[in-house]
Amino acid sequence: MKLKGWVLLTAVLCCSSVAYAHHSFALFDFSKLTTLNGTVREWKWANPHTWLTVVVRKADGTEEEWALVGSSPNMMIRWGWNAADIKVGDKVMVDIHPARDGKTIGQLQTVFLLGGKVLADPAGQSGEALAGGPTNLPTKPQGEPYK
Amino acid sequence: MKLAQTNAPRNGTARKLGGSICSLVMLAVIAQSGDARAAAVPQSKDEQAKAWREIAALPDFWQGTWQSVSPIADDFPTPPDYTSAALSYIKNYKPVEDSPFANCKPLGLPFVMNIGGMPMKFFQSPGMIALYIESSGMTRFIHTDGREHSERPNPTYLGESIGHWEGDTLVVDTTGFAPDTLFQMGKLDKKTLAQGDPSPLAGVIFGTHGPNLRLVERMRLLDFNTLQIQTTIYDDTVFKRPYSLPPRRYIRGIERKNESQEWACTDNRDFLDPSGKLEYNVKDKSQSR
Repeated sequence: MKLKGWVLLTAVLCCSSVAYAHHSFALFDFSKLTTLNGTVREWKWANPHTWLTVVVRKADGTEEEWALVGSSPNMMIRWGWNAADIKVGDKVMVDIHPARDGKTIGQLQTVFLLGGKVLADPAGQSGEALAGGPTNLPTKPQGEPYK
Repeated sequence: MKLAQTNAPRNGTARKLGGSICSLVMLAVIAQSGDARAAAVPQSKDEQAKAWREIAALPDFWQGTWQSVSPIADDFPTPPDYTSAALSYIKNYKPVEDSPFANCKPLGLPFVMNIGGMPMKFFQSPGMIALYIESSGMTRFIHTDGREHSERPNPTYLGESIGHWEGDTLVVDTTGFAPDTLFQMGKLDKKTLAQGDPSPLAGVIFGTHGPNLRLVERMRLLDFNTLQIQTTIYDDTVFKRPYSLPPRRYIRGIERKNESQEWACTDNRDFLDPSGKLEYNVKDKSQSR
């Protein structure tokens, strides 16, 4: 399966605050929000997309590796992110839009760090919101817990 | 120039005079041929000061940066008058297979101006306006020194841009495009699209532009916070008559967070194997959305 960098990038740069609901890129279900609780294996801060790889221990004791694609670092910086916010080994909770086909991949939505810092991915936001910064950040995960 | 100097008399005054005449001749040659390789003539301090004063009087494109607030895809509200070749291409166009985005390759003009999310920044010095397009990490150089287009511009992703002011409007004329710059030639009829495809690129017809593609962009401030750019496409391999796109809008950001940043595309990790595992720097794999 191919995951296209540029398309994701351009998709999230689209048109209005409703753009988020407007994603139907075959890979991810933007109507679903799932909360992962895991440990960071890799945090790739690069263009065109960031990638957060998280190891999730399931209720049955097995481990899964989740590859989560985020926006461009350039956009994230303007939304309060710093490359050093996340380190390998960190425990994180992450709200994601999961893959439609059940693979362990997702589109980042919000990262909740142990210290209480909350980082929202600007994907799908309007030009106005991208220039203005995030508003109404949640304080705790909003997705359905993944077990 | 070198040849002329070598042949000049050894007498200092005559040599100087010869140099000046030579410069004048050079200027005339530059004006006539528009040869981008012609030697530049240094401006005097006074000339340079005058040029900066003229810049100061221009509309203020310069403070802060410009964030696109228009949809990524261009709209074609008036059906273009397509050539038969373009009509035939559109008839067989399959958006899924033909999606042109791949890895870190530059998009180029015209479509790079459509990519929002990261702001653009104008700079100016006498004779040139530069436009940094962060979303591609590239800078457009718009010559405002009165030159003409090169007779044989080498193909580039951003082309050869020449600008002049018409009142408060910066008019930018660009030619010399690489054959594979990303080019939207139209939009499919909504009726032909899959029901409810919500992609911002749904229905976009990407195609190949002709070698003589020319863009004329009219850039002007609607108010201090709003820049409008209206582009007209000249390409007789696609449109029988030039097509004027609806204007796009950009909003000004003057806060530090809206300052320009480096944008280097380095991560071609865009491929997941059937188990969902990522591969690094996968190249030459065509992608479809």
